[in-house]
Amino acid sequence: MIKLTRVFKTFDGGRSYAVKDLSLSVDWGETLVLLGSSGCGKTTTLKMINRLIEPTKGTIEVNGRDVMDHNPVDLRRQIGYVFQEIGLFPHMTIEQNVEIVPRLLGWSIRSRRERMQELLDLVGLPAERFAERFPDELSGGQQQRVGVARALAANPTYLLMDEPFGALDALTREALQQELLTLKNQIKKTIVFVTHDLHEALLIGDRIAILHEGNLEQIGTKKDILDTPATKFVKDLFAIKRPSIFT
Amino acid sequence: MSFDALVAYILERLPELWLRTGEHLMLTGCSTLSAMFIGIPVGILLYRTTWLRGPMMGVIGILQTIPSLAMLVFLLALLKKIGVMPALIALTLYALLPIARNTLTGLEEVSAEVMEAAEGIGMQEYQQLMMVRIPLAAPVIVAGIRTAAVVGVGIATLSAFIGAGGLGQFINRGLALANTNLILLGAIPAALLALIVDFSIGAFEWGLRPERKRDKKGSVQSLMRQLAFMLPVALVLIGIVTYFTKPGWISESATQLETGHRIVRIGTKNFTEQLILGEMMAQLIETKTDLIVERRFNLGGTMICHGALVNGEIDLYAEYTGTGLTAILKHAVISDPEEALHYVTKTYHERFDLQWLKPFGFNNTYAISVRAADAAQNGWNTISDLKESAKNLLAGFTAEFAERPDGYPGLRQAYTLQFGDVRDFDPSLMYEAIRNNEVDVICAFATDGRIAAYNLKPLKDDRNFFPPYHAAPVIREEILKTHPELGDVLSLFGGLIDNARMQRLNFEVDGKKRRTAEVVKEFLKAKGIL
Ligand SMILES: Nc1ncnc2c1ncn2[C@@H]1O[C@H](COP(=O)(O)OP(=O)(O)O)[C@@H](O)[C@H]1O
Ligand SMILES: [Mg+2]
Repeated sequence: MIKLTRVFKTFDGGRSYAVKDLSLSVDWGETLVLLGSSGCGKTTTLKMINRLIEPTKGTIEVNGRDVMDHNPVDLRRQIGYVFQEIGLFPHMTIEQNVEIVPRLLGWSIRSRRERMQELLDLVGLPAERFAERFPDELSGGQQQRVGVARALAANPTYLLMDEPFGALDALTREALQQELLTLKNQIKKTIVFVTHDLHEALLIGDRIAILHEGNLEQIGTKKDILDTPATKFVKDLFAIKRPSIFT
Repeated sequence: MSFDALVAYILERLPELWLRTGEHLMLTGCSTLSAMFIGIPVGILLYRTTWLRGPMMGVIGILQTIPSLAMLVFLLALLKKIGVMPALIALTLYALLPIARNTLTGLEEVSAEVMEAAEGIGMQEYQQLMMVRIPLAAPVIVAGIRTAAVVGVGIATLSAFIGAGGLGQFINRGLALANTNLILLGAIPAALLALIVDFSIGAFEWGLRPERKRDKKGSVQSLMRQLAFMLPVALVLIGIVTYFTKPGWISESATQLETGHRIVRIGTKNFTEQLILGEMMAQLIETKTDLIVERRFNLGGTMICHGALVNGEIDLYAEYTGTGLTAILKHAVISDPEEALHYVTKTYHERFDLQWLKPFGFNNTYAISVRAADAAQNGWNTISDLKESAKNLLAGFTAEFAERPDGYPGLRQAYTLQFGDVRDFDPSLMYEAIRNNEVDVICAFATDGRIAAYNLKPLKDDRNFFPPYHAAPVIREEILKTHPELGDVLSLFGGLIDNARMQRLNFEVDGKKRRTAEVVKEFLKAKGIL
């Protein structure tokens, strides 16, 4: 379980807040989508969860314990993170990229190898063809998948995904979204998924949190949000472009 | 030089060329290696300690700007040694900047996204450094090593100045003897060596790159990688092996040690006359005593020769009274030759335990010289005679003479003389300039062979402005005590060589490009000394 209580984050000593008074919780096995336009503090929120950034105020709990009491390295190794910029290690093969966290955790070579093959199959990049390639020999979409595989490698309890399909063309994105849905059902993880795309949010989220300029506008299931928008902002958001498939 | 002659010339020197190339590789390789061992950790330290960057890079940068000769003189004073050690230290210091700087830049330039991922997946700080940041910075670091090594090949030529060998020895000797062939014999291999070093480190970097799957198809590629990796290592090894297996005909120390004879080490500065005097003393000692001579010729100048002598790295060399007086003892000019000799003899003995022996006889001072034809036509015999026409005359001086207080500035005052224009020349070009009528007056050296060969007339210094520069052997008193025969033998030279004779000897070597040893032997035989 992940729980944020009245979290604030400022980068400029309080003149502006990237995240303002944010409280929310993510339940076991649930996928929470953080939805908001760019610059509204989604990435900052994710990074605070695994302590890449420390909150200015408020508490964040993971597993019922304040993240500030965790050893950051141990904490991060329990949390799979798919970065917005992917951030594969360019000097390592796909195999090495995927294996990296198990390697840090000291898994045996054999179990690492098995896991790597399993994961590459899962994200649709057969190991025979892709394991020994380098990131720059892959397309953007394929790299995104490797990013997902790397995050899943050590079987983390939590998964943070920062616009993992953001930079892709519509076709690839749709394919990957479908894959993620399948994956979600197979692996049962607690996921925080960040997106600025309305469709994606509605498709993937069990619940959706709508952020706007650092404020949480509303959090709830699809149904809650569509039926009873809490603020004018949410109402307008869906009024402009109410996706027909969900009505 | 015909092609056959050229081939013969090179063949004859091939063994020495091989040795010098090996020494050169050893100097460059070992200094680059030690610069890596210092520079890379320093770069990493600077990357992690921001506040250290400014001061540290400043210090390393300043090291870089110290002129090489000054650095060598400084190290000589510090280590009290000439030879390989100070050369290696100097080269290492010069190589430090590119390596440390590239390490720092390389580490800084690693993409922030990749590093954030490294941290975010749960790497410890040192793991981030060792597993991600350093490997990604490696190409930039290797580029720095490459720069350092290639520049090092160039700077290593200066090691010859302090007797550390290397290809610079040919260049040095060639410059001293105004012998283009010798210069090229050092310069061309040095340039080739720079290219080879550049290539081999380039290959190393290629070998360092991650091996791609498609590369494996041909195992040739794979093999090449292994080879590329070995290339720089092989180069350094060749250098070290060559260095430590010096053939006996070059360095006689081994045989000397076996036979148990005392060695006398003779030094010279790096110009023709010094080489002739050094060789003369060497041949004399070799025939008249059972001491064994080691020739540590072509050292980089007065300060290095003197430093080597004081520190017992050489036992004797020929110095000039004026130089000893002004450059070493920092004393004002003493115009009277007897008095000058007396002063340096006394002071050297008191201060350095060094003994001045009987002067050779000639006085290698500055000689204001004009074309003999002009002198005859205008009736010029003394420098004072120039006074009238000076403003219509074009002077060509060495840069040093143009600035030294005992050069043109003093001369101008002493004779109230002002030339129409003064141009700076390299010493050897100065003689060509007056020969080709590009200038009318030069500051020749009184014993230069070209005075006679180019029909120049040295004008008499009628106001005794120039200090006397009488050459004499300067020897360590310690060796003189254990081998008093050295003093007896060297005193045979007393007054033996006057200016005209020294001019001729210089010209045989400088002008006619004959071998120093041959010219010296001929001279000593003619004098009945050998
Ligand atoms: N390291 C940082 N330093 C200063 N400002 C930052 C930093 N990271 C993010 N911000 C600011 O915080 C706000 C939220 O950023 P971010 O969380 O990246 O937005 P999102 O991911 O929703 O696009 C933005 O205004 C951004 O400029
Ligand atoms: Mg973002």
